[in-house]
Amino acid sequence: MAENTEITIPVADPNDPYAVPAAMPSSADRAPRSFDLDAFAMPTSRQEEWRYTPLDRVAEFLDVFEPSGLTTVEVTGIDGSPLDPAQVGVEVVDRTVAPSGTVSKPSDRISAVEWNVVKTATVVTLHGDVAQPVRITVTGGGDAPDALHLVIAADAGTHADVVVEHHGMARLAEGVEIVTGRDSNLSTTFIQEWEKGSKHVGGHRIHVGENASLRHSMVTLGGDVVRIRMDQDFGGPQGDLNMLGIYFADPGEHIEHRTMVVHNHPDCKSRVVYKGALDGQGAHSTWVGNALIQPTAPGTDSYELNRNLVLTPGAIADSEPNLEIENGNIIGAGHASSVGRFDDEELFYLQSRGIPETEARKLVVRGFFGELVEEIGIPQIGDHLMSIIDRRLARGESEAMTTVWEEK
Amino acid sequence: MSTLEIKDLYASVETKDGRKQILKGVNLTVNSGETHAIMGPNGSGKSTLAYTLAGHPKYEVESGQVLLDGEDLLTMTPDERAKAGLFLAMQYPVEVPGVSMTNFLRTAKTEIDGQAPAIRTWTKELTEAMKRLKMDPKFATRSVNEGFSGGEKKRAEVLQLELLKPKFAVLDETDSGLDVDALRIVSEGVNRARENTGLGILMVTHYTRILKYIKPDIVHVFADGHFVKTGGPELADELEESGYDQFLPEGADSESALA
Repeated sequence: MAENTEITIPVADPNDPYAVPAAMPSSADRAPRSFDLDAFAMPTSRQEEWRYTPLDRVAEFLDVFEPSGLTTVEVTGIDGSPLDPAQVGVEVVDRTVAPSGTVSKPSDRISAVEWNVVKTATVVTLHGDVAQPVRITVTGGGDAPDALHLVIAADAGTHADVVVEHHGMARLAEGVEIVTGRDSNLSTTFIQEWEKGSKHVGGHRIHVGENASLRHSMVTLGGDVVRIRMDQDFGGPQGDLNMLGIYFADPGEHIEHRTMVVHNHPDCKSRVVYKGALDGQGAHSTWVGNALIQPTAPGTDSYELNRNLVLTPGAIADSEPNLEIENGNIIGAGHASSVGRFDDEELFYLQSRGIPETEARKLVVRGFFGELVEEIGIPQIGDHLMSIIDRRLARGESEAMTTVWEEK
Repeated sequence: MSTLEIKDLYASVETKDGRKQILKGVNLTVNSGETHAIMGPNGSGKSTLAYTLAGHPKYEVESGQVLLDGEDLLTMTPDERAKAGLFLAMQYPVEVPGVSMTNFLRTAKTEIDGQAPAIRTWTKELTEAMKRLKMDPKFATRSVNEGFSGGEKKRAEVLQLELLKPKFAVLDETDSGLDVDALRIVSEGVNRARENTGLGILMVTHYTRILKYIKPDIVHVFADGHFVKTGGPELADELEESGYDQFLPEGADSESALA
């Protein structure tokens, strides 16, 4: 008997990570974090991080470029009214002035390029109980590539809601830093409502303070290529992170969200729920949900879920949850993932009640997303989101149906 | 006063053994306010008739016509047929996750009527209709048919029948899977719809039980893809006595012949 045989676990080749099934790449993600562009190799589709991304369609963002500077940013109350400067500060500063550049470091080449080409950062600081949601409107600058750096910083004890809306035609590399102070309670909702042909790449770097809660929502309803990576960690125990995502991919569009949740402190909770609908030939969505529970994080409660609804044949949804648990003393760590089809029998049932095929699809999509929007729990934001989703679904809508939804 | 006419209807379905003809020359005329019971053995094509009328894509019409007040339903999509005034209460209503009953009903009502119902009167109408069918109000907020029991699904079908007010309803074994109380409640709903709107009914069933609650004017026997006998309510009693064997071809091994 070979009692003393030592077990050797084969090490994955970074250039071909799936060659050895026993040595799957770690979701712990030991990839570099750096402001230095040279720390990141040029992406190829053979790298785990980039395997789903159509690299040829984001080529302009993979190396240093001269930003057009044509993207505009406006910060107001949700209804367009001015903000109280005592509660909401808005500044455009050199990108190296804190808090800009203080939340972790770029985690991939696109983010490193963004940092290296952008000159200034728009910094929105939040203090106290901010009653009215803050709206940050980002309007694309057209065909020429541009870069934007946005920082949202909530002081200790702050309660605030922020909605970031992206409109227009854009080729944008956007870096976002979100930092929340101790005992704060912040919601940030990012809406991508780009015009057809737009491109949006970038990353969010998120730091959730001790005993603070952050609800981070992504709503991506348009764009030729959208690829956004979210990296998060906690600043102390009792942090609560709730990430919600809604996306809708049309024919030929690539919509990619990657979430990286890191439990590095005890007794923190995280939820990641992303739902997407895909319609038509070549519609492609990607969700990669990474969760890492470090040895320093006992009492962790984490869960991630992704659901995809394929409305018509020819669409592809990639869904990949990755969990790495380095601490046995936790409350929970779960994940679920599914890709389902809008069923012919469901369609027939709705049709047999007088609902035409296109309306039936919309009804199902609206319900599919509505469940998630309801969870947001802030009526002003939930209503706003539903109206945006309806607007997205309402292309060519009959007037009677619009009324039904508005009356809801 | 409306008329639904089925004229020499032939339809087939794709099976793993190839295309199989199920409806073989169906002829029937139903007028507003009339209730026709369609009885017959398993596998005779009763449900196929129901689904073919409603336009399920699985069934292919080979020839014939279905005219609702002179307009051919067979050239219409299922939603157009519903708008024309046809309703199919399904034997196995489909679950539609994520779509609330409230939204579904309001959307259907808007499509059928061509305009959104006034919100106050609609809510009242819905609440009262649910109450009469002894449905828990919380059903309105649940997803369409999701997690409903068999009996609850049938009540939800009759609820739609009452709210959408079609000219003709095909009830496909609406009585199956119901206990006595549920059968009575569901039947009362159908009877109300008939009294209130002059609904014409095609009631597909195996059993005479439901005919005690929903009185038919005319009873038909359906076998081997077409109507083989037509009579008054007394025909149902006769079938109860003698079964369907007399209507089956010699040596046919239908389920009821074997039973």
